Amino acid sequence: MQKTLEVLLLDDEPIVGRRLKPALDKIGCHVEVFENPKQAVARINEKEFDIVVTDIRMEEMNGIQVLEHVQAKWPRTRVILITGYAKMDLAREAMGKGVFDFIAKPFRPDDLRQIILNAAESLGISVDKPSGITEPVEP
Amino acid sequence: MSIIIIASDTAEIEHSIAQKVAAAMDYQLLDRRILEDTAKKYQIDPGKLADAMKTTPSLFKSLSSGQWRYLLACVEAHVLDRLLADKIVCCGLSAHLYVTGVSHALNVRILSGDDSQSEKERENRLQQRKKWSMAAYNEDETELSRYDLVINLDQIDPAEAVKTITGAAGYRKFQVMTYSMKCLSDLALAARVNVALLKTMTDISVQARDGSVIVSTKAGNRQKRKKVETIKELAGKVEGVRYVEVHVKKNLLGVTTG
Repeated sequence: MQKTLEVLLLDDEPIVGRRLKPALDKIGCHVEVFENPKQAVARINEKEFDIVVTDIRMEEMNGIQVLEHVQAKWPRTRVILITGYAKMDLAREAMGKGVFDFIAKPFRPDDLRQIILNAAESLGISVDKPSGITEPVEP
Repeated sequence: MSIIIIASDTAEIEHSIAQKVAAAMDYQLLDRRILEDTAKKYQIDPGKLADAMKTTPSLFKSLSSGQWRYLLACVEAHVLDRLLADKIVCCGLSAHLYVTGVSHALNVRILSGDDSQSEKERENRLQQRKKWSMAAYNEDETELSRYDLVINLDQIDPAEAVKTITGAAGYRKFQVMTYSMKCLSDLALAARVNVALLKTMTDISVQARDGSVIVSTKAGNRQKRKKVETIKELAGKVEGVRYVEVHVKKNLLGVTTG
């Protein structure tokens, strides 16, 4: 099934959204970027996204709470966690709670695009293949 | 998919449980049979390799501390490369001591339940393993809190133990993710660099991240510059290394260690 992949990207560091949005646009995703978790959750309440990509460590609400909110509201949505503070215990906690994938910053946009492709495939959605290597995204 | 690492104070029990878990999950079994390949790969004596896996160096043995560390580094690098393939049950290779921080590696300790051993024999064996693991990796392998799952065969039948392990391996938290695979490939790269350096040097510690490698070592003032150059040259030749940084601590004894 070919369709535009609806992606919500949440990170309180503005540069992350600025760098990743164009990279995901290139593979045909429609990306909505948020820096405030509460605003992101309000948007999630309104719209079922195919994929939510969220940072973990944020003020007001952390990525695990966002994951739990998404799961309660839209069980089909795939959640990908990104963090600059990755540790084994946190990775296991996130995996145990049902996150689709977990990636440590810094990473290359291509790494995230590959995860997005995997998530899309798990949803039965086909998207364009990524091309080219881009610079790493810093935490 | 995950990696299951099984350790016990009794090698036979460790291997028997690992074999059964591998068969039940249709996973590959990685055990001491790979030491032959390790010896060939690094052109070392397989007998010395097997010896290094169970004894520590001393003044009375032919194996020096430097040689011993090099042999262990060869095993570690070879095992880590094999573990990148995933869906593996590993035993007998002390992987529980160096596969650390990898969330999809389920570390299991089997408490033996071996009736043929007296309490004293069992205690001696544990003390030997503790001494070896502390010397080799600065980790006490008899410390149970470092394992994800501990099964006491005095209380649980081997068949039930196998079911428990396969059940736990199915938990979501032990599944492969991008982060855990990256942690494993970083460990594998660090181990390859370690082998390249330990062949001719001592006092080496290596960390890797995404192709960048940090090597920590010791050197006296006179040897410092040459040692840094040599490390950069040797580590830079290892496949997958893109950048090498060397941190040198002053060798207070003024002894050249490489």
